[in-house]
Amino acid sequence: MSRLSVALRKKLAGFTLDVAWTAGDGVAVLFGPSGAGKTLTLQCLAGLLRPDAGRVVVDDRVFFDGATGVDLPPQARRIGYVFQGYALFTHLTVAANVAFGLRGRPRAERLRRSAEVIERLGLGGLEARYPSELSGGQRQRVALGRALAIDPALLLLDEPLSALDAPLRRALRDELREILAAWGTAAVVVTHDFTEAYRLADRIVVYDGGRVIQAAPRAELLWQPASEAVAGIMGLRNVLHGAVVKATPERIQLRWRGQTLEAVNSPTRSYLPPPDSPLAFFIRPEYVRLIRKDRGAPDPAHHMNLLSGRIVGEADFGTVWSLRLRLDAPGAPAQGDFDLEVEVPHLVYEILEIERDRHWQFSIHRGSIHVLPA
Amino acid sequence: MTTEALDALVLSVRVAVVATLLNATLGIPLAYLLARRAFRGRAIVDLAVTLPLVLPPTVTGYYLIVLLGRRGWLGQPLYAATGWSVAFTWYAAVIAATVMALPLLVRTARAAIESVDRELEKAAYTLGRSEWRTALEVTLPLARNGIVAGLVLAFARALGEFGATLMLAGNIPGKTTTVPLAIYTAVQTGEMGEALVLVLALTALSCAVLVLAGRLGARAA
Repeated sequence: MSRLSVALRKKLAGFTLDVAWTAGDGVAVLFGPSGAGKTLTLQCLAGLLRPDAGRVVVDDRVFFDGATGVDLPPQARRIGYVFQGYALFTHLTVAANVAFGLRGRPRAERLRRSAEVIERLGLGGLEARYPSELSGGQRQRVALGRALAIDPALLLLDEPLSALDAPLRRALRDELREILAAWGTAAVVVTHDFTEAYRLADRIVVYDGGRVIQAAPRAELLWQPASEAVAGIMGLRNVLHGAVVKATPERIQLRWRGQTLEAVNSPTRSYLPPPDSPLAFFIRPEYVRLIRKDRGAPDPAHHMNLLSGRIVGEADFGTVWSLRLRLDAPGAPAQGDFDLEVEVPHLVYEILEIERDRHWQFSIHRGSIHVLPA
Repeated sequence: MTTEALDALVLSVRVAVVATLLNATLGIPLAYLLARRAFRGRAIVDLAVTLPLVLPPTVTGYYLIVLLGRRGWLGQPLYAATGWSVAFTWYAAVIAATVMALPLLVRTARAAIESVDRELEKAAYTLGRSEWRTALEVTLPLARNGIVAGLVLAFARALGEFGATLMLAGNIPGKTTTVPLAIYTAVQTGEMGEALVLVLALTALSCAVLVLAGRLGARAA
């Protein structure tokens, strides 16, 4: 059941937004690089920007319809908007900010509702403070409270965590997730950070250059990016190019760097490219297994996609080591001076004495080679 | 202090207060429109409001005579209908002071309004406020310091206005002679003692206004 159905066209100088997507209950995240049209979409949803064409429907209420000329003003849409910099009214107290959207209701109800919102968001005791006297996290909650107080049909959040420092960001990401779940309001969140998108989303809509290049439940996006462009925006590493040897609905055999690799074909989309056609795929660095040398020769039945290579570079990321492997196979490396990035936890790095030992055999499970349809 | 000097002082304050009130009612909406709305003729309005700042006051005064004098574009029909002309009355001093002070208020207030984050106005729209209510509840309160500063400048300018006032209102003792005009007359006729008293009185008044404005600004911040 879709609660939110969006189709927008808006031409600006040097940029055209042309998107269509739907979302149900819960949180939809618009994810993509800056300048992809995500904030523009929010402004069109809120009625702050008029699209050239399209249709916006929330819970069967038509907010905008280019064909019939319907265009509700922002005042009539009852949409809660949490702006990127929060846009709190700096001349008003926390209580007055939260109650701002309740004007026109009876005084008693206004007081009850704003007290309830302040209580639920843990802002009790701060009622008489001004925004300049609050911490970043408190400001965010006031902005949320102000938007939620009007009991919005839809909540829009534009980069809700970008104004915060890194440590606070992580804590508030989880807090925000809980608040959104607890209030049960359908929400659209804009972010360019994939971890943030994944943590907050039920459904992720990937934006690029004013278009939607994939819209899917978050797990599907994580494991089955629809294209190389999506993989690039997600920041996936080891995005590689090979050629098809043979494709069946269950498996795809491919050739890469003179090696033959076997990958699982997606059961849902069963992508069947003809032999010899170019094929993009990616391998998550943390899913490459280094093979221990103290356990005898590797067993090809157990260790599929067996390769060997040398470590030509490494970087310490605190909890994990990132290793750059170059295959023994002749030919130019796939990624500059290396072929594969591999990630191992610190403990593994120490146990295997990787610092001393630079030549390794490694294997990649066929389920860890993800094909990117062209 | 002589009666003439006291009359001049009372008149000056009265003219400056009324001119500042007129400035507030005309200038603040004008500043808002110039800052936030695109409308036809905006550039011309902007130019007309700002011109008195750069023109010699006598030139502005001349235009005011052309417009409001007994034979002026507006003045003549008014005189024909009522037998009354605004020229050489204390109203003329108010009009001259208002026109001369307006650019100071409008420019200061406009800059303050333009510096208010538009996202705050958008937030108010999504929370159900019309543009008009948003201006009253969000934009103008947030631009308050700049508006107060503009009003203080306008008051000071109105208090010290000389050239345009002389052109339109003349220098009629007890009727249109404001303090700056009285000082000029006193110096011309060699009454240096009288001039000094008025100079000190005007200086003290200006200082008092600036101190008061500073206090208001500090409280608003």
